[in-house]
Amino acid sequence: MDDNNFKTRLRIAKREILKKDANENNKRGLFLGSAFRLGTELVAAVAVGTIIGFILDNWFDTKPWFIITFFFIGVIAGILNVVRVANNMQKEDK
Amino acid sequence: MAANPMHQFQVYRLGPEIKLGNVDLSFTNASLFMFISALTICIFLYFGSKQKGIIPGRLQLIAELFYNFIAKMISDTAGSKAKPYFPFIFTLFMFVLLCNMIGMLPYSFTVTSHIIVTLVMALFIFIAVTIVGFIKHGLKYLSIFVPKGVPVVLLPLITIIEIISYLSRPVSLSVRLFANMMAGHTMLKVFGSFVISLGLLGGWLPLSFSVALTGLEILVAFLQAYVFAILTCIYLNDALNLHH
Repeated sequence: MDDNNFKTRLRIAKREILKKDANENNKRGLFLGSAFRLGTELVAAVAVGTIIGFILDNWFDTKPWFIITFFFIGVIAGILNVVRVANNMQKEDK
Repeated sequence: MAANPMHQFQVYRLGPEIKLGNVDLSFTNASLFMFISALTICIFLYFGSKQKGIIPGRLQLIAELFYNFIAKMISDTAGSKAKPYFPFIFTLFMFVLLCNMIGMLPYSFTVTSHIIVTLVMALFIFIAVTIVGFIKHGLKYLSIFVPKGVPVVLLPLITIIEIISYLSRPVSLSVRLFANMMAGHTMLKVFGSFVISLGLLGGWLPLSFSVALTGLEILVAFLQAYVFAILTCIYLNDALNLHH
């Protein structure tokens, strides 16, 4: 019977839903996703660095040296990856 | 046989052996479950988009939910430039999700618990994104390896670090999915065998763990598909909108 009243109520309800949506649901999912990322991101870079070092060692016959250097470079790259993901998480938090 | 928790990951041949030169192309249980997943997606989306009602039915509602979910994810993470890649990411998400979920059914086989499957998907994404980057930006795409504002002395080291970090993308993408699925299913099987070996007296505790773990595994199955898709979006974003 009160068409105008209903429309206002509908608009308010819609706005509430939108607000809730942006605040909670998406964020939580994103964070869980990011949490799963962090661990493997670190390990993967170390593994890739070590493999590259191993291949270079086999090429140039310099057995332990490239593998050692690239292991540490891989560690640095892994930490860098993790810091980047964490930075993105903080940016989304604001 | 039943007590071995790794037995569920065995790939075996179904039907005759098919060989093409040195390549074994036989139809295995892994191929069967990939086929089932793809078929389920096709049937579900066919019936979901058949009615086209203004007031959606149940199937249509679920199909539209998935569509909106992925569309929103792409526009949130990669912007409007990534719209043309929607079909690819949607297919990827649905396939990984269905493979994970069908793997949760008893007596089924989890395709994504094999690293070769996830690695092939991750490598495909990696190579495709690299090609897209080079097509859109030409040789300027290489500038993602050279961050701005780095002193010249450190530049060679930073570039090597950036290259390793770039190359680690397919590894982390594939290992994450594979490890999560395999670890979860192994754990379920181990707790399941505890129930049998502890019998009627002590079996109730591992049984309750099993129930809780099944819930957790369903969450992980969904979340891993989501992470796989969202990381594809993030990599695509790096390739499309070059800024560092």
